Amino acid sequence: MTILCVRFQLPPVYEAALPQLIGLLEEFTPVVQALPPDAALADLRGAERYFGRSAVELASVIRVRALALHGVDCVIGAGPGPMLARMALRDARPGLTRAVSEDEVREFLADRPVVALPGVGGRTARTLCEYGLDTLGRVAAAPLSTLQRLVGAKAGRELQEKANGVDRGRVVPNAVSRSLATERPFTRDELDPGRHRRALLSAAEELGARLRALDKVSRGLTLTVRYADRTATTRTRTLPEPTAHSAALTKAAYGLYAALGLQRARVRSIALRVEGLDPAEQASHQLTFDPVDEKARRIEEVADRARAKFGPRAVMPGSLAA
Amino acid sequence: MPGFTHLHTVSGFSLRYGASHPERLAERAAERGMDALALTDRDTVAGSVRFAKACAKAGVRPLFGAELAVAAPGARGDGSVQRERRRTPVRGGAFIDESTPRVTFLARDGARGWADLCRLISAAHTAAGLPLLTWDDNHADGLTVLLGPDSDVGRALAAGRPDRAARLLVPWREVHGDALRLETVWHGREGTGPGSLRLAARTLGFAAEQRIRPVLSNAVRYADPGLGPVADVLDAARRLVPVDPAKGLDSGAAWLKDANGMLGAAERIVEAAGFRREAALRLLEQTQATAAECLVDPEDDLGMGSVHFPEPHLVGAGGRTAQRALASRAAAGMVLRGYTGRREYWERMHRELDIIAHHGFASYFLTVSQVVDDVRDMGIRVAARGSGAGSLVNHLLGIAHADPVEHGLLMERFLSKERVVLPDIDIDVESARRLEVYRAIIGRFGTERVATVAMPETYRVRHAIRDVGAALSMDPAEIDRVAKSFPHIRARDARAALDELPELRELAGEKEKYGRLWELVEALDALPRGVAMHPCGVLLSDASLLTRTPVMPTSGEGFPMAQFDKDDVEDLGLLKLDVLGVRMQSAMAHAVTEVERATGERIDLDAVPEGDPATYGLIRSTETLGCFQIESPGQRDLVGRLQPSTFHDLVVDISLFRPGPVAADMVRPFIEARHGRAPVRYPHPDLEEPLKGTYGVVVFHEQVIDIVAIMTGCGRGEADRVRRGLSDPESQGRIKVWFAQRAEANGYDAETIQRTWGIVEAFGSYGFCKAHAVAFAVPTYQSAWLKAHHPAAFYAGLLTHDPGMYPKRLLLADARRRGVPILPLDVNKSGVAHRIELVSESKGSKVWGLRLALSDVHNISEAEAARIAEGQPYASLLDFWERARPSRPLAGRLAQVGALDAFGANRRDLQLHLTELHRGARGGRGDQLPLSGGRRTAPAGLPDLTSAEKLSAELGVLSMDASRHLMDDHGAFLAELGVVSARRLREARHGETVLVAGAKAATQTPPIRSGKRVIFSTLDDGTGLVDLAFFDDSHDACAHTVFHSWLLLVRGVVQRRGPRSLSVVGSAVWNLADLLQVRQEEGLEGVAARLAEPGGTGTGAAGTDGEDDGAGPARRRLAGSDGRPAPAGSAARDPMEDRRIRMPTGYEMHPWADLRPAGEGPAVGRKLWHRSPGSAG
Repeated sequence: MTILCVRFQLPPVYEAALPQLIGLLEEFTPVVQALPPDAALADLRGAERYFGRSAVELASVIRVRALALHGVDCVIGAGPGPMLARMALRDARPGLTRAVSEDEVREFLADRPVVALPGVGGRTARTLCEYGLDTLGRVAAAPLSTLQRLVGAKAGRELQEKANGVDRGRVVPNAVSRSLATERPFTRDELDPGRHRRALLSAAEELGARLRALDKVSRGLTLTVRYADRTATTRTRTLPEPTAHSAALTKAAYGLYAALGLQRARVRSIALRVEGLDPAEQASHQLTFDPVDEKARRIEEVADRARAKFGPRAVMPGSLAA
Repeated sequence: MPGFTHLHTVSGFSLRYGASHPERLAERAAERGMDALALTDRDTVAGSVRFAKACAKAGVRPLFGAELAVAAPGARGDGSVQRERRRTPVRGGAFIDESTPRVTFLARDGARGWADLCRLISAAHTAAGLPLLTWDDNHADGLTVLLGPDSDVGRALAAGRPDRAARLLVPWREVHGDALRLETVWHGREGTGPGSLRLAARTLGFAAEQRIRPVLSNAVRYADPGLGPVADVLDAARRLVPVDPAKGLDSGAAWLKDANGMLGAAERIVEAAGFRREAALRLLEQTQATAAECLVDPEDDLGMGSVHFPEPHLVGAGGRTAQRALASRAAAGMVLRGYTGRREYWERMHRELDIIAHHGFASYFLTVSQVVDDVRDMGIRVAARGSGAGSLVNHLLGIAHADPVEHGLLMERFLSKERVVLPDIDIDVESARRLEVYRAIIGRFGTERVATVAMPETYRVRHAIRDVGAALSMDPAEIDRVAKSFPHIRARDARAALDELPELRELAGEKEKYGRLWELVEALDALPRGVAMHPCGVLLSDASLLTRTPVMPTSGEGFPMAQFDKDDVEDLGLLKLDVLGVRMQSAMAHAVTEVERATGERIDLDAVPEGDPATYGLIRSTETLGCFQIESPGQRDLVGRLQPSTFHDLVVDISLFRPGPVAADMVRPFIEARHGRAPVRYPHPDLEEPLKGTYGVVVFHEQVIDIVAIMTGCGRGEADRVRRGLSDPESQGRIKVWFAQRAEANGYDAETIQRTWGIVEAFGSYGFCKAHAVAFAVPTYQSAWLKAHHPAAFYAGLLTHDPGMYPKRLLLADARRRGVPILPLDVNKSGVAHRIELVSESKGSKVWGLRLALSDVHNISEAEAARIAEGQPYASLLDFWERARPSRPLAGRLAQVGALDAFGANRRDLQLHLTELHRGARGGRGDQLPLSGGRRTAPAGLPDLTSAEKLSAELGVLSMDASRHLMDDHGAFLAELGVVSARRLREARHGETVLVAGAKAATQTPPIRSGKRVIFSTLDDGTGLVDLAFFDDSHDACAHTVFHSWLLLVRGVVQRRGPRSLSVVGSAVWNLADLLQVRQEEGLEGVAARLAEPGGTGTGAAGTDGEDDGAGPARRRLAGSDGRPAPAGSAARDPMEDRRIRMPTGYEMHPWADLRPAGEGPAVGRKLWHRSPGSAG
């Protein structure tokens, strides 16, 4: 019961406030893992002894400090491992920390739906439910071989361990935010490819700027197009080289979009996400003899500085200005 | 100043393009002082007949034409060569390609022009995809061609390329020469596109330069100004995209402008083209001259009012005339049926032949007889229905079964010298083989003589809401919810329904939220939105058919289909034979085959013994579910009161259960007299003869004919004409005087005359033709006989062909109640169709069970079902998988409902094995299957489906609760509530307040005597059926729940009207599924809390009356349609003016009665069941 999962109730803006809040947690323990956009895991194993308080008591302290220092409320779940802490978080409310102790793990899990387990996505959950394994208790009771036949060898073993409360996860400090996302909704069913591309351009520009602000580069790009009937199409592409360059992101986004070949689809929103973020200094960049690329990057740098000084709308592509 | 004629006008028959009905266009043209008007619909002339009739009424000369897409010279029909292929969209589908140039063709030279037009339209419809006329087909002598802004020439001009336009014009000029016109259109648009002033001016200049006569048109899409938004919605619905203001909207100018308005346009155009102002008049003159050339007469040239039968040599007349052939066939029939010794038969035959000869209809009779013979030779059950059964000749030719002389049926009801309309013989065939019959008819007479009839599908409220909602970018889920909450009413009544119907109250509260939606929905009222093949009409004509109607292939089967609907073809003098597919015939055929397959016993249904006591016993018990014509709640009630014991009683029963007799209150006196509770009275002793069979109550048309004939001394032919006149209030007055005079002359006293007239008048035209009833009663008796003697086979037939008004699961419940064992689906035993199986045999009495069919499994294809049935038996799961090769989802569904239980393991384990087999097959990893004990499937340790899950799976997969009745699980809760079961209800006292519960089986709001709206519903609780009625006063609280829930709990008062006739008048209703859930989650206290809530009333009952009045006139104008989606109960006045529908018989009908109510029909399958998250599949 030494791992805390803290979800800060941030107003729906950037994850920009998160680093400060992570800093707050780091005053208690160095082992803090950010879970963007608004949560973090903290391993309080050492802190309990150091502060002479239990994790639940420390949770109250954290909440008070977050409110006092940053005016941000938070909900906290506590458990013996990261997985259980996260699951406990779902039962927690502001002011009520949900703690799951070692001995009550099994009962805690037994009646939960499988989908509550971190790492079990919609597809796995559907498979399991189809075979009547709709609660974690039933999953735990099913033979390992059957589970492995259902979801695969490795996933089956992990699933059974998790369902039995075996939590092998660790809190990894400094694990960075792994993705950034942004969405461009339309006010009506939008069919016009021109407007779709504008939305893509603006989203890619924004993501590029945010990446550069964080000094990160991204290895992959995901496009999600949502339709009027509440369904969505998602396509992912790995970028040729890790980049935070808006033009490269835009080009990749256009490519993804064109591959969909949309004609009469009633698009309600377009979302872009950059994934696989690495520190910018670790990125490699293929140099060319063509000065165009070089120039574009220099212009971008200048534009970034102008934006930092005069606001995000100070410099933008012409086609977005109208 | 010259007048003006619109040469380019489309109506609503241009699907999802034109916004006004042809009738409205004709009216407006007359109002705006025009002498002529052309109708040039897109790809069709379907509106022509209505248009011609409306024009005749309005005093406007009709011109006929069509707008067709024409391929460029040299291009083959497909047109795909030039265009690069676009990537297939992952979602939403491709754009509708409307890029082909369109040209307007006007029929000019009378019949030749019309024939050319028909040929061009037929040719255009041979293209794959959208209709497209290839250049090779683009030639005609009798047509005038208008090249407008949408033609290739017009487009070249719009692109500022007069050189290209000149080049494109050359082939047109070669083909059509002097018949070519250039059409200028000005809609006040900017730029150079269609409708712009610059394009109009360029066209005019180009015409002068090329020496081609220009004409002015307005490319009319709607009759009145202000309908631009409707045109936008139609465009959106056609292109399947939302309305996008950024992409340009309709100009709003494409309405039927008057001559002055068009002169103004002409002046602007000629000035812009640089001519003097007077040139405008010349432009109008040219237009008028073009219109004047187009002379197609609706009577002579379209063939309205004349009749065309197939040539005699095709119908077995050989070298003789049709009349001679008919006479000799009829005489042969006399001999064959053994009537030779009976004089009255000979006399009647000769009299009928005379009438037939008088009209020259002999070919018609031979044609029908030929078709019936062909059908019978194919081994398909066939029966004539309708008034044709009253003709002895039909009986002799083998068309009708029943002997008209014996049953007292009259030829005059069918055909007489006085009647000038086409006679009408309908034939019923097995529904499952209807298309075979069509093919046989086409094969016999050839595609140049046969075509099916079109049936325009028009906008009613639900479709209108869907299309407008989609055009306005509404949320699809929201659209769906709004559309589904409406009953199936006319679109123009949308707002009235919102204000008046209690079940829409919630929706009415948020009416404002949807803005323009309602206005646009009402504007779409009755516009055609698609064309389908009429389910029963077949046109038969001589070889000239294709010059009189264009044909297009039907979408599914590729039958040739005439573009006219069933009313139009009658006006056009095309002979229509109604071939109705009757599911009951298929069901009975299947039952007979099953009996023969299983027992070897051959049943000839047409020869079952008459007066079988077991059969009538069954009918009298009112357990007539599944029996033809007598299964509805109302009929079961009537049968219970009438207690039929002979065939004649059945005939009367069927005739009484019609809106007319019910309205004229013929039922009660009849029942009273029948059971001796009231004396039999005749208005006059002379009338005893025709009225004797029905205890002095008039039931049949034939009786009215006889009464009139006897009292007035006119012939029966004349009497039938009089009878037809009764439905029209105007002629009714005249008839009354005539009747009194003639009867007096025949020596009847005034009181008798008055009394008789009272009867005749009340009867109106709403009796029933006895010939119909006799034709109906035959399958009624046959089906009841089957149900009494071969119940298992009967249910097998019913379930296979699904006739009737009830869901299959109700038939299954009925079978269970009648002690037919239901055998579960099993891949080793079930056939494609439902079968019977011997369950037990003891001392000569055999119990046959009903084995469920593979074809009822959700989403099974015919091929899959056939493959599974063929490969039986299967030794193991692996064997089944390999040989039957079911798709993965199908195999899963089979496992869920236990069809694979024979292979061992539980159903979830089977699922897992199937998944692995599927993966194995895909991955090519061989076919290893963990088997234990050889053929048994090894268990995998998964939890089996619970009993509730199994039932849920059955409902989901089979739409039937096959293993037990779905209410069985809730016995405990129902007992807690003190619910009375259907079986116990039979002992309930009149006036007792009871609780009943069950699954909803059918809901109706039929027209009834009091003129109120009553909701009738039937609940099924496993022990029987409970018939419910909800009257006006309970609608506020109940209507929504009744329409939109599947499991109901109802509080009501027992109404008893006879020993077997009882219903419950509901006063409160709850959704039982909700209550069950509450019971499970919150216990009885929760249920109590729920019951304590005021039932269903809730939000804003008071409200929106005030502002509706203001919207009234606007709505009426916008609704803009005189098109009639046949109003409920016929003879309806416009209910927008008068909220009650008054029947000629003097009784008022509630305007919302007789509509299919909201909700999705009775409880079937998937939606019925509350599904737990862990439920299978």
